[in-house]
Amino acid sequence: MLRLAIAVCVLATFALAQDFKFIIGSPVASQDFQFKSAAFVFRTEGCADPAKSQIGATAEGIVKGTRRSIALKVMASAKPGVYAVVQTWPAEGDWLVSLRGTCADANAGAIVPIRGTGFVRESSKFFSRPATDSEIDAALKALAQGDHK
Amino acid sequence: MFTRHVSRQLAAHIDGELSPQKAGNAARHIAQCADCRAEREQVKYGMDALDQLAPVAPPDAIWMSIEAALRRPESSVREWRLAFAASAILILSGAAYWAVTHRPGVRWEVLRTGGAPVVNQKRIVRGGSRIGAGEWIETDSESRARLQVGEIGSVEVGPNTRLRVVAARPGEHRLALARGEIRAKISAPPRLFFVDTGSGTAVDLGCEYTLVADDGGNDLLRVSKGWVSFQWKGLESLVPAGASCRTRPGVGPGIPYFEDAPERLKQALEIFGFEKAGDEALRTILTEARVRDTLTLWHLLWRVDVEDRARIYDRIASLTPVPAGVSREQALKLDRGTLSRWKDELAWTW
Repeated sequence: MLRLAIAVCVLATFALAQDFKFIIGSPVASQDFQFKSAAFVFRTEGCADPAKSQIGATAEGIVKGTRRSIALKVMASAKPGVYAVVQTWPAEGDWLVSLRGTCADANAGAIVPIRGTGFVRESSKFFSRPATDSEIDAALKALAQGDHK
Repeated sequence: MFTRHVSRQLAAHIDGELSPQKAGNAARHIAQCADCRAEREQVKYGMDALDQLAPVAPPDAIWMSIEAALRRPESSVREWRLAFAASAILILSGAAYWAVTHRPGVRWEVLRTGGAPVVNQKRIVRGGSRIGAGEWIETDSESRARLQVGEIGSVEVGPNTRLRVVAARPGEHRLALARGEIRAKISAPPRLFFVDTGSGTAVDLGCEYTLVADDGGNDLLRVSKGWVSFQWKGLESLVPAGASCRTRPGVGPGIPYFEDAPERLKQALEIFGFEKAGDEALRTILTEARVRDTLTLWHLLWRVDVEDRARIYDRIASLTPVPAGVSREQALKLDRGTLSRWKDELAWTW
């Protein structure tokens, strides 16, 4: 009987627990005037203590046929778990932003295509792990072919 | 020779504290006066006896009472000094604030960027000028100007524009747009920059925007970065980057919409917002709305009766999940906390 109760509790915990993931939005979503010029903002969900999460981002691009990767500085908002990505990659070429994060034992990743000075919400992809190189390359290829328009 | 007795000078004479002249006179008198000589001997004896006395420590209670007595007037003096200093600081601060906010010298820079704009009834042909509260910038069809708004940003003044500086204070940067077009770029925290128009007030919430006003007081607000709140008599439209909002005198701000919203939605909104055409327009808006157009739907919640409000709530709920903490019942009652939470969550789709 005790084992059954424990099993039910464990299953309920898993069922109720929210997956650690990223939610992206336009800069206005952060409600932070300092982020108004950001390329986009994002927040974490399913992380009990956002202050202890590890968040990173890279800009991945193809410029004149050459693959490039630039480490990005993620700006944290005053609101816990809310961050901004400011464009520091060149205007030339096709670019996307790869987000990755860890919270306790959970991982999350996202690929956010960039068009012009904004992000393409509809073509963004979200993972429960960092995006792989092949996934990033495929997204860049699609971006170059105009599939994200 | 008659000389005065020196009784009052004897102690000083014995201690050698008299000036040479006085000491000489006293010595000469004492040499001739037997009374003074006798008196001098008595005084000297007494002084010698005092010197022989051993020092005796006073009881602690005496020192404590002396110290307490010394402290009393000192703390009183300190209190007075503090009070005086505080008063002086208050007076100086008030004077400084008054000087900053009222001095005629607080004037913003105006640069001519085309043609010959008029600032305070003077035409600027070259360079720039300065403008203070109560003064106007006017441009004709050929002229343009750039107004430096204190330390917080700038305003491009387009052709055929009349713009007045209402307040030029650190806590309130306020313009009044009578007609024409301005483009504001503000880098300050929210609610420091305001533009009054014939149909309301645009309140900067950290933004860049364009505001066009016609002679009839109708405005069009287009926001390119951040947020603008357009307010009139308790009505408020929150306009984020990428969205626009029309306003009418006597009606106030209309319902904001995204520039890329379906045309049919925008047309229906025009009818619904200002002409009160009713059900058909609302049906079109609900049908055409995308996830992002929950901006429009959320604002509509405040402007309709409870039956239509329920239809709008259900449409938003069908477009994007209703977050925790937002109940249908509270939303339909226009509970501010509930709708504010919902708006903050919906903003992630805007």
